[in-house]
Amino acid sequence: MEYLLEGFADGLMRALQADPQVMRAAWVTVKIGFAATILASFLGLPAGFLLATARFRGRGLAITLLQTSLGLPTVVIGLLAYGFLSRRGPLGFADLLFTPSAIVIGLVVLAIPLVAVFSMTSVASVDERARETALTLGASGRLAAWTVLREARFGLAAAVLAAFGRVSSEVGIAMMLGGNVEGYTRTLTTAIALESMKGEFGFGIALGAVLLAIILAANLLSRFIQRL
Amino acid sequence: MSAFLLENVKFRFESDLVLDIDRVEAPAGAVTLLTGANGSGKTTLLRVMAGLLAPEAGLVAYKGAPVLFGKAGLGHRRRVSLLAQDPWLFRGSVLQNVSYGPRARGMNALRANKRAEEALLRTRCESLARRDAAKLSGGEKKRAALARALAAGAETLLLDEPVSHVDEENSALIAGIIEELAASGVTLVVSAHALEWAASLPVRRVRLAYGRTA
Repeated sequence: MEYLLEGFADGLMRALQADPQVMRAAWVTVKIGFAATILASFLGLPAGFLLATARFRGRGLAITLLQTSLGLPTVVIGLLAYGFLSRRGPLGFADLLFTPSAIVIGLVVLAIPLVAVFSMTSVASVDERARETALTLGASGRLAAWTVLREARFGLAAAVLAAFGRVSSEVGIAMMLGGNVEGYTRTLTTAIALESMKGEFGFGIALGAVLLAIILAANLLSRFIQRL
Repeated sequence: MSAFLLENVKFRFESDLVLDIDRVEAPAGAVTLLTGANGSGKTTLLRVMAGLLAPEAGLVAYKGAPVLFGKAGLGHRRRVSLLAQDPWLFRGSVLQNVSYGPRARGMNALRANKRAEEALLRTRCESLARRDAAKLSGGEKKRAALARALAAGAETLLLDEPVSHVDEENSALIAGIIEELAASGVTLVVSAHALEWAASLPVRRVRLAYGRTA
């Protein structure tokens, strides 16, 4: 028990003193997390909106596939992306393996279904009267669609936030595709895995505390944006 | 001159024929009162007139031209506005709601807000402008939605049961506003199944039963 308490105290001190290793891992995490979340939202939000509002052949299948892919193990995504990005893979020419870009690619694959399913549910739950009201007040079809999105903004923000939380706390993809290179591809989660294996419990705690602080900051930012 | 002319209009909901209108005319600059029991087709008829539901057959004409539906119907939807029985207010303040129509027509925020404030004044809702639309009572909600329809600048208003589910005070207020609108020459098509509030209005009545004119 004592070593746990010592670990917490050590971790707190390192976090408060802005330990350079912790800060580097935090910066890589934020950078990769934001990039993956933005790209996944760019693809996932329109997909979710389309699935919620349009009726087309194959819609049911698309929803089932997306919902199923929510449960896809991250190591499987990591493995598949590794296969694509490795020298012998179809995207090997790009030489992306063990770079932050490789991690972003894997995390985008992880986050797209999450953003799409959450946003689909959120848009589908907006009352049909919202769109009709917009139309009868003289809105074009595009403005009416935008109005529905605005009505669903809390749910959409939650979808984006959930994606950010998911990609920031992911470890399997980051480890397999990034290679855990200090200051380059080492994220907070891969650093936690490494340090705890080395017995550096306190360091792991410090990294964990910073990770939580980042997710909290993203939450606060999201709340602020929703009030605009 | 007729604002609306509907002939041989049929609308089916799934397999049920819910509207089967031989002929309905609504004169311009006057009040047309649609009456009938619940489920008689009043709301469906108003939604067809508003350009929200395309009938499977028949003619729907507005001021001499056939009404277009879907994307092509934007022009019609900017001339005719529908106030639903249970109106939907968007998230945000009452002022934001009421200025939606002018903004949708490309008006800048300043002018849209001015137009909205005038409409709020007309519906005695000026004190509600800054209130959160989600926190209004049923009657306030209806008055705010009426203000929103007025601010949208439509020349014809379709009002679906404007005084249902509101208290006496709000009912009298709304009836008074409708009277003022009628006196100012706005074309109104109003559905109602209780008629006391409309007793003093010079109206043309159209009675519906089971989706047909009775």
